[in-house]
Amino acid sequence: MTSPVVARPAAEPTVVKGGPSLSARVTSFMPVIALVVLLAALTIADPGFFTQRSLTAASMTAAPLIVMAVGATLVVLCGGIDLSIAAMASLSTVFLALWLPSLGALSTPAVIAAAAAFGAVQGVLHVVLRIPSFIVTLGGMSVFSAIALVVSDAGTVPVTDNSTLNWLTLYLGGIVPMSVVVALLVVTGIWVIMRFTPIQSWITATGYSESAARLAGSPVDYVKIGAFCVSGACAGLAAVMLVSRNFSGNPSMADNLLLPAVAAIVVGGTAITGGHGSVWRSVAGALVVTLLRVGLPIVGVPSAWEQILYGAIIVAAVALTLDRSKVLIIK
Amino acid sequence: MTSPAEDVDVAAARPQPRRGVSLRDAGPPIALVVVFLVFAALSSQFRSIENIQNILDAAAVLGVVTCGITFVLMMGSIDLSSPGVMGASALAVALLVQNNRNDNDFGLLGVALAVALGAALGALSGSALVLLKVPSFMTTLGVSAIGLGIATLMFSGVQPNISDEMLGSWATERLIGLSYLTWIAIGCILLGWLIQRYTRLGRYAFAIGGAEEVLSLSGVKVAPYKVAVFTLAGAFYGLGGVMVTSQLGAGLVQAGDGYDFSAITAAVVGGTLLIGGRGGVLHSAVGVLLIVVLTNGLVQIGVSPYWQGGVQGFIVVAAVAAAVIPQRRRNQVVK
Repeated sequence: MTSPVVARPAAEPTVVKGGPSLSARVTSFMPVIALVVLLAALTIADPGFFTQRSLTAASMTAAPLIVMAVGATLVVLCGGIDLSIAAMASLSTVFLALWLPSLGALSTPAVIAAAAAFGAVQGVLHVVLRIPSFIVTLGGMSVFSAIALVVSDAGTVPVTDNSTLNWLTLYLGGIVPMSVVVALLVVTGIWVIMRFTPIQSWITATGYSESAARLAGSPVDYVKIGAFCVSGACAGLAAVMLVSRNFSGNPSMADNLLLPAVAAIVVGGTAITGGHGSVWRSVAGALVVTLLRVGLPIVGVPSAWEQILYGAIIVAAVALTLDRSKVLIIK
Repeated sequence: MTSPAEDVDVAAARPQPRRGVSLRDAGPPIALVVVFLVFAALSSQFRSIENIQNILDAAAVLGVVTCGITFVLMMGSIDLSSPGVMGASALAVALLVQNNRNDNDFGLLGVALAVALGAALGALSGSALVLLKVPSFMTTLGVSAIGLGIATLMFSGVQPNISDEMLGSWATERLIGLSYLTWIAIGCILLGWLIQRYTRLGRYAFAIGGAEEVLSLSGVKVAPYKVAVFTLAGAFYGLGGVMVTSQLGAGLVQAGDGYDFSAITAAVVGGTLLIGGRGGVLHSAVGVLLIVVLTNGLVQIGVSPYWQGGVQGFIVVAAVAAAVIPQRRRNQVVK
């Protein structure tokens, strides 16, 4: 009988502290604010930007990034990080280009399944061998790149018959690119599955406090493996979108998407310490990053600044969103 | 001489039964000898004198970069910034010595400036770590991007080819059979070892990795040492970028591509733990040789060079897993 009585006073202070401070509130709206400010600034810089045509083009560029960032968000929500997504997507573009002639329409699900399997392998290694996720995925990154180089013989694999991927380049209602629709469907799907099953709580619990989640009986290991699996599958889907647009697969095609994807996640406000965040935040983050990418040349900034900006953004956004109560010693 | 020797004994005796520690320290050198003998038996080309020279020359840049990253790993942090830092310093040195883009001819001063640029970028990572409290893998990922951006700005579309004889001779001239670059690397490893062994910076880097809380509770201000370690690492990467420029005869943005991962692999294989507090520069030097011998040997026996990165990926995961197994029960939470 005494134990609930003891538990209650301990719970009270956390409730009081739980109210969001001003800075917390601003940070939580940061991606949306940044998005609006960027749109406004770009429209002022170039009135031609806020037209249906250029917005359509920009959103089409954003689609693979959205998918990749959302997949990796699940890993980040669990408290890990997936640095292999870009290499995984590059490898998937090679697989897709190689498999299209023989497998036809089946090659899309095959590639996504293969990427999911690779992701799951990384998850299993992380969970079973207890290796930090960034080392596993850094290792995975170089293994995937190596496989892609060997399989493609270090060259571009052209896609001659694009008919089975053509649907991704169509426009819904003549306005919205099909790839964007697919990306949003995937995000909605992941969100719905998480929201209406215990998965959401499991992931959040794992991210906030893994030991507590374990003691409470959450299937922490399976949740983590699942997160890596989904992250891989999303990278595979992003690869399908890239191939449908570029008509080829290349062992380094998506390599330059790693930083934008990480930036999208942290700019969205998902804390890399885990627990706090959502997939929709990463969608907003991906849109912000895409607008920066598209917008810098419009304003007349040389593209070299893009890299510097990503670096600064990542550090700044992580500094704003980090849950400092959890990590006493920052390594 | 007595006091350092005593300290080493204490450090070795404390954490584990002595036999386990000595086996851990002896493992990488034994593996190096075994791998070397296996390849020597398999390939006659491998055991030629020229190939051994090649191996040592190929190890030079990685040796310098690994020397830098070892200090960061000893603290228990991680550093992914070497591609950016090396790219920036490679471009800086290519534009500062005699080249086809401008009339600069600073010679050694140019090299020093490029190394200083590397150190400055390292200091940036370190400051972001201690001031903004952002974990090091994120700050260094960011600084890597910043370095690549700076390099691209300096590149500005035209590749700077160096015509400086001094810098060019580093890669081509030989002294007692080894290229100047290899001697520079040996010097760096010696310097790194001296820093690690005889300076406060090196000692504290170990201590930060071993027990940061204890150190700060004992009244040591940890933050400046952390920044200093990242600065030191940045300087080593800067020198690595200069060395790559000397090898290629031109400044390239991609000068440091992949060196972050190779250096981490080499350090980990040599016995430097990612959680910090273990290993050292000499361990890492063995790791570098192991990686380079493995890469060279695999090419000699006919494995596609494209597999290089993949092999390193497997090795690093295996090495980290092997290092973690004794403590699996203890640290339940792995992020």
